[in-house]
Amino acid sequence: MTVQPDAPPSTAVIPVIHRHELIIIGGGLAGLRAAYEAVSSGINVAVISKVHPLRSHSVAAQGGINAALGNADTTTHDSWEAHAFDTVKGSDYLADQDAVATMCREAPAAVVELEHMGTVFSRDDAGHIAQRPFGGAGYPRTCYAADRTGHNLLHTLYQQVTVKGVTFYEEYFVTSLVTAGGACAGCTALCIQDGTIVGFLAKATLLATGGFGRIYERSTNALINTGDGLHLALEAAAPLKDMEFVQFHPTSLYGTNILITEGARGEGAVLLNKNGERFMKNYAPGAMELAPRDVVARAIETEIREGRGFPGGFVHLDLTSLGEPLINDRLPGIRQIAIDFAGIDPVTTPVPVQPAQHYSMGGIDVDVSGRTPLPGLFAAGECACVSVHGANRLGGNSLLDTLVFGKITAETIIGDLPDLDPGGASVIEKAVVEEGNRIISLFHRGSGDNMYQIRDTLKKTMMDHFGVYRDGPSMDAGLIEILSLRDRCQQAGVPLMQTPYNLPLVHFLEITGMVRIAETVARCAIARNESRGSHARKDYPLRDDDHFLHHSLLVPDGDGTLKVRTSPVSLGMFPVKERVY
Amino acid sequence: MKFRVFRYTQGDDAPHYDVFETCGVPGMSVLAALTTIQEQQDPGLSFRSSCRGAVCGACAMLINKVPRLACRSQVTGLTDKKNLVHLSPYPALEVTTLWDPATEVLVEPLPHLPLLKDLVVDMTAFFDFLQSVDPVFHPREPLPGKEFHMEPDAVRKLERFTNCVLCGACFGACPVNSRNPKYPGPAALATLYRFHIDPREHDPGSRILAADTESGWWACEFHTNCTRVCPKGVPPAFAIGRARNELKQKRPGPPTRDLGDDGPSDISR
Ligand SMILES: Cc1cc2nc3c(=O)[nH]c(=O)nc-3n(C[C@H](O)[C@H](O)[C@H](O)COP(=O)(O)OP(=O)(O)OC[C@H]3O[C@@H](n4cnc5c(N)ncnc54)[C@H](O)[C@@H]3O)c2cc1C
Ligand code: SF4
Ligand code: FES
Repeated sequence: MTVQPDAPPSTAVIPVIHRHELIIIGGGLAGLRAAYEAVSSGINVAVISKVHPLRSHSVAAQGGINAALGNADTTTHDSWEAHAFDTVKGSDYLADQDAVATMCREAPAAVVELEHMGTVFSRDDAGHIAQRPFGGAGYPRTCYAADRTGHNLLHTLYQQVTVKGVTFYEEYFVTSLVTAGGACAGCTALCIQDGTIVGFLAKATLLATGGFGRIYERSTNALINTGDGLHLALEAAAPLKDMEFVQFHPTSLYGTNILITEGARGEGAVLLNKNGERFMKNYAPGAMELAPRDVVARAIETEIREGRGFPGGFVHLDLTSLGEPLINDRLPGIRQIAIDFAGIDPVTTPVPVQPAQHYSMGGIDVDVSGRTPLPGLFAAGECACVSVHGANRLGGNSLLDTLVFGKITAETIIGDLPDLDPGGASVIEKAVVEEGNRIISLFHRGSGDNMYQIRDTLKKTMMDHFGVYRDGPSMDAGLIEILSLRDRCQQAGVPLMQTPYNLPLVHFLEITGMVRIAETVARCAIARNESRGSHARKDYPLRDDDHFLHHSLLVPDGDGTLKVRTSPVSLGMFPVKERVY
Repeated sequence: MKFRVFRYTQGDDAPHYDVFETCGVPGMSVLAALTTIQEQQDPGLSFRSSCRGAVCGACAMLINKVPRLACRSQVTGLTDKKNLVHLSPYPALEVTTLWDPATEVLVEPLPHLPLLKDLVVDMTAFFDFLQSVDPVFHPREPLPGKEFHMEPDAVRKLERFTNCVLCGACFGACPVNSRNPKYPGPAALATLYRFHIDPREHDPGSRILAADTESGWWACEFHTNCTRVCPKGVPPAFAIGRARNELKQKRPGPPTRDLGDDGPSDISR
């Protein structure tokens, strides 16, 4: 329906309802891989995305994708079992081992399949897909396309999917999931281009909406990574899982927080504090700069907090000793990023870096087939939590997760479709009218509170209270702040009554969701009185398997309050051990 | 720093410009400046963005009369000599508004595409042209059990073209696109060339025939604006030149298949 701010709220127009067997919300790698599978089996599929699919965050992935192809092995042989072990250990034993086994077993086929679709991977001298070593991996297992792996994969899949006849709804922002008779029947969406609200009726709905990094002040994520899909799921009473586990990358460029790959340290770059001291010797004297991500992130954070960082809060990543030829040969992208986004040439000047939010391990609770507990609703990719990453994700495993579980979830949906019945369109029509009225009411709130101030306070709160280090009293204070921001959202209005490309309206819908997602992170983090993987508590510095070897499950009660419950971790393949590198 | 920004809403008689002032921090991008303006001064300002890291291609626009990615353009460096880009002229590059390049950054939408709102243009034609060259891989059959064998050198050649982010900057920079509605444009042709040189293709030689028309490869006039504005170092003009040479060797003379009459007739340049 047309959202005319000056029209009376319930204008009697017949809402536009689009009908498809499967709607996929999200056009990143997970969404497109699922679309490819479904459309290949003859299903009527639509992909809905708030940006053109090629602008999805997947396009930004740099380092690569893990698969035990064994191309780089000389004397020893990599195997999917070794990949699974590294993944489980990296997860601090919180990943579900059956899901990890599935992902690692499918990995070589997933990568080769994308190669057969046309992806151009970097090659070794023998002409095979090149594989590089990555943190926490026992073998050089990460297949890559220079430092543009995500770009190459996403463009390839997009080409494949467009010729197969998937319907795309580009620049449609999904505002709610619609349930009928205890099942998901579709969704409502704002058509950003003309400002109308439309409905989608579908037997199956797949959420592939990516991560929520932007609830943090500093994040390597795209600006659009606001966690909308998690909010949609929660509003539809689908549970979220392991929300406390948020990965911080040690080296993001100060200012924009664009990622500076681990590869820079791999090539020999060193970290220096403001006194010119190579401080990693005080934290990891053996591994130095090549200690695991969480260790290096904590070290940098400590230097900054204790006053040994530079004003503004950063340390130096010094590449100057590597020399121009090596930088040009192996780190050309990094040099370009530093020049373009900080005006600094790493050949001559150290690069200012700081830790930043990088990945969301938690997400919508799904089983190994991609089903959520809500019939008709499925999830895959970074927005979902299977869980294959547990308390800490290994680099190169997330792209793999999107491809493997994008495919598996589509297969599940193909099998389930005959049994799914969304009912008639009337429930969607009603939802469209309600959404339209809700949005009109936002326009009528007047200037109210400023949503951008609410968002900025939220980002700072998350950084200060739920960042690299956490402790009980600080998190409690953070939660109180988040709840007050939630109240302030009720007062904030959309300052603009204009319909096409109404950025404030999109931002408002994102921000209300971000505040809610922040609350879920806070509640899960407060409930976990131990340190595990990315969740580092100063007041509980050790892992506590006796009490916390379980997933956190966040279930909304009828009145909207959030309760943290637990669910068991699937073990059995590898015994739970201490995580030492 | 002042920003002179193009404004247009459907239904307006004509577009106009608004001038905004915002204090710049060193390294601030045009995208960051637009974001600050939108959040703090004029919520109604519309533009596209996503990655803010020059990888997604969402934010191409005309900045100081050059098609660029807003997120990759630092405000302070725009007038530096090394950042000046000289382009072969065409109407959209003529300055039609009062603008002082020394004190103001001029921000306008990409040319040659329908206006939707302010800096947002309708990219449908751009993507339709891309589809028209069948931008999808057709592998040699049967597929190998593992990945295709490929020399690192072949990959390096291909990478120059697969790096395209489909931002449309080249399309907006192209004088031929400004007057020939049938010309697919630099990005689509560069993409077609990418498949043509892919050694894994089942019939790579035949791929370039898809644009062997007066309004295809042969419509290019080698202004090379595309290559000069490309934020990703893709050389579409090089691809077009190579494709034409190959076609000439196969079959001297003008294209045999002619899809349109209103394309430029001079193909000798
Ligand atoms: C800088 C960086 C580098 C990385 N490098 C690597 C790497 O080298 N290897 C690796 O394995 N992983 C890497 N990752 C992680 C990986 O890139 C992501 O986890 C993965 O790409 C997520 O894919 P996705 O398909 O789940 O979601 P995304 O690609 O984020 O796509 C989300 C989609 O959902 C849509 N959407 C969201 N909300 C809505 C809404 N309300 N309405 C409509 N549509 C909506 C968006 O438009 C988008 O199309 C990296 C991450 C970052 C930040
Ligand atoms: S060739 Fe360059 S300018 Fe043209 S669309 Fe691709 S990346 Fe953009
Ligand atoms: S915002 Fe992605 S290229 Fe500029």
